[in-house]
Parts: sequence; structure tokens; C-alpha cells
Amino acid sequence: MQPNLLRETIPACLDARAAFADTGLPSAKAEAWIYTRLSDITINPADEAGSPQADLPSGLVFQNGFLVSGAESLPTGLRFREFDKDGQDMAAFMSYLPEDHLLSVLSLGYVTGAYVIEIADNVKIDEVLSLHFVGGDHNSSSHPLVMVRLGNQSAVKIAEYHQSQSALSAPVIAIDIGEEAVFDHIKCQNDQDKAHHLALTVMKCAAKSDVNSFTTAIGSALGRHETHIHLDGEEANVALSSIYMARGNQHHDMTTRMLHHVPLCTSSQLIRGVLDDTARGVFQGKVLVAEGAQKTDGQQMSRALLLSRKAEADAKPELEIYADDVVCSHGATVGELDENHLFYLRSRGIDSDEARMMLIEAFLLDTLETIRDEALANELHKAVESWMRG
Amino acid sequence: MALLEIRDLKAKIGDVEILHGINLTIDRGEVHAIMGPNGSGKSTLSYVLSGRDGYEVTGGDILLDGESVLEMEADERARAGMFLAFQYPVELPGVGGMAFLRAAVNARLREQGKDEVDQLAFVKMVRSRAKELGVSDEMLKRAVNVGFSGGEKKRYEILQMALLEPSLAVLDETDSGLDVDALRIVSEGVNALRGEKRGMLVITHYQRLLSHIVPDHVHILADGKIIKSGDKSLALEVEENGYAGLINAA
Repeated sequence: MQPNLLRETIPACLDARAAFADTGLPSAKAEAWIYTRLSDITINPADEAGSPQADLPSGLVFQNGFLVSGAESLPTGLRFREFDKDGQDMAAFMSYLPEDHLLSVLSLGYVTGAYVIEIADNVKIDEVLSLHFVGGDHNSSSHPLVMVRLGNQSAVKIAEYHQSQSALSAPVIAIDIGEEAVFDHIKCQNDQDKAHHLALTVMKCAAKSDVNSFTTAIGSALGRHETHIHLDGEEANVALSSIYMARGNQHHDMTTRMLHHVPLCTSSQLIRGVLDDTARGVFQGKVLVAEGAQKTDGQQMSRALLLSRKAEADAKPELEIYADDVVCSHGATVGELDENHLFYLRSRGIDSDEARMMLIEAFLLDTLETIRDEALANELHKAVESWMRG
Repeated sequence: MALLEIRDLKAKIGDVEILHGINLTIDRGEVHAIMGPNGSGKSTLSYVLSGRDGYEVTGGDILLDGESVLEMEADERARAGMFLAFQYPVELPGVGGMAFLRAAVNARLREQGKDEVDQLAFVKMVRSRAKELGVSDEMLKRAVNVGFSGGEKKRYEILQMALLEPSLAVLDETDSGLDVDALRIVSEGVNALRGEKRGMLVITHYQRLLSHIVPDHVHILADGKIIKSGDKSLALEVEENGYAGLINAA
């Protein structure tokens, strides 16, 4: 035991660990985990980053859940530091987290490194800040916490790349987006193929803030990515898209909670899944419109494409609306590649593999087009293509 | 050697035999028309030729340049020089037109051991061909067939045929859904592609297409068999007397 680790010194972390020891993993009956069973996960948090791996990418690199490089060359206007030791940052961080929530408890109780990224009021950063989550091994778990604060009228673009070798990666990222701030975000999850990836991203959006976020889930044996978005200020706007792609025995779960607490906010969610072999995809999306949150516009659409008869997609869209003057919709479809489409392409000499690839890309296109930043869009296209060529 | 030789071809969908032994030979430079009433097996013949899944050949053979294509997949047949202009071209939302055309042309070039065409040269070539066929730049930018009118879809089929330069073109009911002007544009496009290197099989219900694309030979298909063959005057006979008389006489 290393006494300087937050998880050993901060009471809230010790409490969380005790709570987790008490309740354990969710039972088969737990509503939020009906489609995604956690039977055995490796909880063995790393104590340190270890020596840096070769060829570190640029940006902030977290190895085993601890910062290993990149803090010295950050974009101007961006401040970065570790959580303080006396628990104030942790207390602030916890205020973003849902209560009685497995992923929160798990990550607080076993936290590895914990960091703060701050962008002051009016600071606009054009350069993309990359966060790389790497390292680990099949016996260890990493539980990094990152708290991002965007000041009023600030702007930043963050790209998360998860290529962890850990048995379990459980990153929790809380992002506080100030008034009229603009946040562009992508997450590419490509953890090693036996890993569990259990992630929680929470965003709090102040008035007139503008969020464009995109998640791709490609790696890991079992991944659950939860996104909770609080629309706390009027006229906030959030576009949240995700693509999950799975083959073999992979299981991807995308769970979202879009929480409209105040009037005049808009949210749109496009989710696309591509499932081959015996893979399984889950989308659980809740749009909540609180009492008084009039003029809310909340849209959600999920579609899954099954490339194999043994693949499975489950969708659980939910609308919970307590206001009467809102425009909300949701839809979910599951389908296969259209034989007529395939034949048309093949009748032009395009072989079966290429034809399938063209149709999968076409299926993903409208979702990929929701990303507005060109550099980030290119990264996503690369991730999608690498899966298809894989 | 004949370009296409269909020998006693029998085919079924599910348990139902649709083609009951078709014989037909097409040489390079020739345009053959197959006419027949609804349900005679015209579209089945076009799909069986192009290798569509779900159609089972139960007898006979199809030879392209002397080689059987029965074991070849649809895309292999296309790369070997066969082209099917669809009666109902399929809309492909999200598949960019230019990327589609280029993928098709490159697949054919690779098959012939040639270099793939570079993007700029390709765009230039497509635009000039498209202009001749009245396919606008705006249509080229859209997803394949999405939002096209019936006439535009048919012109886009002929554009693909012009770009792929097939040795055998099968045109399945190319006249269906076309008004007089569209029919003229499409027919001119097809006629421009007639030549010594190419054979064509024009499948149609009505004679009117054949006054624009004048065939060298006309065959009447009824109940999965060719019951009569002749020259272009046979099409006029159908126009005047209908299919019933021919079918009863056979």
C-alpha cells in the first residue's frame, strides 16, 4: 500500500470502497444492468504509472491510470494539475457523479490518478488536446478520474483515445461546461480485446453552452460507456453521437441519460451499431424532461446493423417527460444489409467485401456527419475504417 | 466464337421452375431483343444471366466468350464484361455517386490488369460522359439513385454502362417508367454504345423501345421458353396482334 495514493487517504474513497465491498456487482435483476451482466471483473488498481512505454504519443498520456507524460507541452491557456491531497477536488468531482451508481463507486473506491484540466473564462483553444489511456496488463485495473472545467465563453476540443492493456479500464470523466462555452469531444475506445471497459462521462452544461460529442466503441471484450448529460442552463445545445462496432464475442453497451432540467435546451442523439459474428450491442437511452423544462427539443435515434444471424442488438429508449410543451422523439431499429443493395453493387463488379464495406460506411454516414470539427472527424473515420479492415 | 451462348437453360426460384430450356446465341456487334408478356420469365432471365442469389440454375449452361459463368458470382461476371441495366435501379442512401462509379470502374480495370484511374482524370471522364446523357453534376454529387426521377435513374444506368464498357449489356425493361423525351435520351445513349466489340440483349414488354433501339434479332419469350425468333418485323407483329396469337400458334 502506498500511503500517498488518494484511494488510501481520502475518506470518500475509502467509503466508496467499503460500499462496493458491501453491494458488489449488480445482480441479474438490476434494471440498469439487465442487458449487460458483469460476472467477473478484475479489480486490482495499479499503484503507479511505471516507466513510460516507447513511442509515447503527443498529448496527455495516462499509463496504468496515472499521468506519464505530456503535462509540459500543453496548449496555451489550458491549466493541468493533479487533484489536491486534502480532498477538495475529490469533493467537487463527486458533486458531478450520480448517486448509488456502480461505475462511480467503483472508480472512486479504486481511483488511480486524478487530474484537473481547466480552461479559464474567454479562453478559446483551437488545438485539439489528446488524452491517451495506455499501459497496464491482464492482472491490473486502471481507474483514472479527470475533471474538466470550461470557463464561461471558453472553447476547447478534447480527443480521448483508450488503448489500455489493463484487464479493467474504468475512467470517469466529469466535464463542467460554462455559459456560452463550446466543447468538441471525441472518444475512441480501442482497449485490448480481453479487457473490460467500464466508463462514465458526465457533462454539466450551463446556459447557451454548445456541446458536440462523439464516442466510438471498437475494442475490449465487454464495454459499457455511460454518458450522463445535465442541461442546467437555458438554451444549452448538445449533440451526442456514438458508433459501436463489434465482432467475435464482443459486447458493447452504450447507456445515455439526457437530463433536461431547464427550458429551451436542445439535445440530439444518433447511435449506430454494427454487429458481426455473435457480438452483442446494447443501447439504453433515457431522455428526461423535468417539470417546467418547457420548449425542450430532445431527439434520439438508434439503429443497429446485424452482419450475422447470431449477432444481437438490444435497445431500450426511454422518454420521461414532466413538461407539456416539448418536442421529443425516439426511435430504434435493428436490421441487416439489404440484399438488393448488395446485388446492385456486385452487379457493377464490386466484390462482396468491398460492397459490404461501402454499405456499412453508408449506414454510419449520417452519424459521422454530426461531428463538426474536421480534425476530430478524420480521427473517427480512421477508427471506423480500421475496424472494417480488421 | 459467340459472345454469349445460352444452352437449354433451366432455372428455378424456390421450388418453381421459371425458365424451361432457353437457347440463345449473341455475337459481338449484335443487338437482340427479348419480348414477352408479364410472367414469361424476362426478368428472371436477366437475373440468372447476371448471377443474382436466389435463382438456381437446374440445367443447361451460360457461356460468355466460350466460358461458363455458372460458377461465377455476380461481381465476377460483371468484371468479366457483363452488365445489367436494372428495370428498377436501387437507391443507395449514403453511398456517394462518384465513389460508387469509381469503385466499379477500378474493379473492372484491376481485373484487366490495368492501373486504377486517378481521381481527377476520373471525375473529368465521368463529367463528359454524364453530359452526353443529360446526367447533371448535381446528380453526380448525390448518393446513388437517391432522389432521382425514373428517367434520371435510367440515364444513370446507361452512364454506368458507358463507363464500364461491357462486352455484353443486358437491358431489363429499360423503357419502363420513361416518358417520350427520356426514352429518346436513353435510347440515344444506348445506340452510341452499339458497336463491333459489344453485344446487347434488350428485354422489353413493348415494341416502342425497339423503334428507338432497333434490334438485329427479336425473340418471343413465353412461359419460360423462346417460342419464336425473327428479325425486327417480329416486334411489329407483336405490336399489331398482341402476344396471344403468337403464343396460341406456338
